Amino acid sequence: MTDETAERALPPIAIAAFSGPFDLLLHLIRVNEVSITDIPIADITEQYTAYLDAMRELDLDVASEYVAMAAELIYIKSRMLLPRAPGEPEESPLEDLQRRLLEYQRYKEAAETLYEVDALRAGLWPRPPIAPPSSPEGETLEVSLFDLIGAFREVTERYRLAHPAALEIRHQRFSVREKMEQLLARLDERRTVPLLEFFGEMALRAEAVTAFLAFLELIRLGVARAFQKVAFGEIHVTRTDVVFSAADVRDTYQ
Amino acid sequence: MEETTTPAPIGEESPERPPRESSVRRIRPALEALLFSSARPVRDAELAEALEAEPAAVAAALASLAEEADVSTRGVRLERVAGGWRYVTRPEFDSLLRRFHEVTERSRLSLAALETLAIIAYRQPITLPEIQDVRGVNSSSVLTTLLEKKLVTTAGRKAVVGTPFLYRTTREFLVRFGLNELTDLPKPEELDEDLAATVEATPESGVVATEPAVPPEEPADDESA
Repeated sequence: MTDETAERALPPIAIAAFSGPFDLLLHLIRVNEVSITDIPIADITEQYTAYLDAMRELDLDVASEYVAMAAELIYIKSRMLLPRAPGEPEESPLEDLQRRLLEYQRYKEAAETLYEVDALRAGLWPRPPIAPPSSPEGETLEVSLFDLIGAFREVTERYRLAHPAALEIRHQRFSVREKMEQLLARLDERRTVPLLEFFGEMALRAEAVTAFLAFLELIRLGVARAFQKVAFGEIHVTRTDVVFSAADVRDTYQ
Repeated sequence: MEETTTPAPIGEESPERPPRESSVRRIRPALEALLFSSARPVRDAELAEALEAEPAAVAAALASLAEEADVSTRGVRLERVAGGWRYVTRPEFDSLLRRFHEVTERSRLSLAALETLAIIAYRQPITLPEIQDVRGVNSSSVLTTLLEKKLVTTAGRKAVVGTPFLYRTTREFLVRFGLNELTDLPKPEELDEDLAATVEATPESGVVATEPAVPPEEPADDESA
């Protein structure tokens, strides 16, 4: 097949209209005027992948099934170059694909028939479903399991909206000053404090971040010192001689 | 219903004996009233029971009503669908009715939905993985659409690993596509001719795919196995 055919097989407008990889394959087979039982696999594979590229170029979401089919086509193409190994299944991957394409084509044709019939029958108006007066509507009510599930969900949802559970959300606030005090108090008890041990007590991320800021601030002010005993080892904090009172820190975060 | 005053000879009817002309004439207007008042197709047996009449007489009266209504001088005709009967308007008045009732858009089924519906119709009961195997593409959302439109429903679970739901078509499916029963589905090899016949059917004939050109003898699902 020539490049000309490949181009002819690429009307970008129609791309979104394919209902699946089989549909696209059937389209290519029709455009190339070949039969399902006699697929020029190399040409079709090439055109198929060109289609997928075009779909990507148009930013269309290429469903994974299309990609899987491209892989299958390439696999079939490569297998056809190899002699059949002894003990291999009778049906080749190509025959399997042809069988599935033929089966799919039958249902696609059936779907087209249904489409035509549906279009014609849409023009027939039956009596509108009006319940006769005083009908208890008992036996005419046809519900499926899904209707029941849907109704149940609706009822529970309505109940949930009508009876909202009391929910109290408190904003947790942490201040750098408070964390400074906490760390200094710890350093007063012990000469050195492993940093991870101090952070490990924090339950919330915001609290740990605040504690870390407090730690950095104490180092900046020369109140505390950080050191490692070995390279990449645990970081320890220790107090220096600098006089400092955390109470003097102006905490603007209230 | 005044007809109930005359007891019908239930249990005596034999298929060979033709129904009495008088009883057919008597139940005809009552039948018309019953069908006129019903939105869904009413089954023959339901009609016979409601009228306490012989099934043969009901069948004869229905045939006569249908024949009488199936003329271009009438605006409605009697349709045999989903194992029952109902009155529908003639197709040529569709645009008039749409204008009058201000119906602009009709929800159409997508090709993907129709493909899935066709697979279920021919292979029912069938599971979602089996459908997807035929279509080569994920079909759960189209299946949901079909379930919502009540064109398919569940039919138990398949006794395989994972016990997936089985799906089948509903009576609503038969009504929508004008089939009397499932065996009226065109056989796969007849699809092309049937499609041609359906498309060529003129509104004048009044036959809009309610009767398949060739009545198939058995369900077509063995074809697709």
